Amino acid sequence: MNTLHPNEFRVLAIAPVTRGFGFAVLEGQDTLVNWGVKVVSGKGNKNAKILPKAEELITHYQPGVLVLEDASAKGSLRRPRIQRLVPQITKVAKASNVNVTLFSRDQVTKILFPDGQWTKHTLAEVVARQFPEQLGSKLPPKRTAAMREHYQMGIFDAVALALALRLRKTKPDHSEAVH
Amino acid sequence: MTSPQLSNYLVSNRKRLALSQKEVAFLLGNKGGAKVSRYERFDREPSLETALALEVIFQRSASELFSGLYQKVEQEVIERAKTLASRTDQGNPKRQIFTNIANKSLN
Repeated sequence: MNTLHPNEFRVLAIAPVTRGFGFAVLEGQDTLVNWGVKVVSGKGNKNAKILPKAEELITHYQPGVLVLEDASAKGSLRRPRIQRLVPQITKVAKASNVNVTLFSRDQVTKILFPDGQWTKHTLAEVVARQFPEQLGSKLPPKRTAAMREHYQMGIFDAVALALALRLRKTKPDHSEAVH
Repeated sequence: MTSPQLSNYLVSNRKRLALSQKEVAFLLGNKGGAKVSRYERFDREPSLETALALEVIFQRSASELFSGLYQKVEQEVIERAKTLASRTDQGNPKRQIFTNIANKSLN
């Protein structure tokens, strides 16, 4: 584990989902300060509704780093809307002088599952085990083919992004996109 | 952008206990959750009585719950103690008291 840079003391992670985005705020190595899902409703431009909510979090928490999923990374299955959203959130963060780090899904899972064996549910389980008091009760049931993804899964994705930043090796992967 | 301590950590403590703002408001003797929301958004600072009630609810000291505010207040007191120490004669025993207060951050 690398030494924590003072500017990385507070990390905000945002994980876009179909209905909005999951978020997590981590302080120090392992203090989860806030977590949740911001839901946008109604028709129209979803990204336009999401951006002010993301900006509100950035302004409120003034993180040293904002972590997002690299939705345009090779192999990413993220929808075009989310691929457009990530640079938009990045722009908002940079306007507030917040550093942005992007991790591809592949990078996150390599950090959290060095053996390469993972599913979305095991990822959430790892995160819940890390923060049992806060997230243990929020762990969604294992999804079957007939089920939609639980909307709170965004929280686990966001915490996983924040943990990836904390747990990355001292020598960062050169493929990591840091803005 | 720097990341100093937040003014308060009420949200994390409330969510840790899976309490709603309305429930915390009831425990504080308020009708709705609006005041709690304002405390959590740092829009309003609670009274001493409310801060102590929050300490009871969350089982965390007020200085922990309001660590950002505590740090700010501590720094201000230290600065005043330094001023008083510099104004107090060398032989006066109070000078040591003021110096101890001023050095608290170094302990």
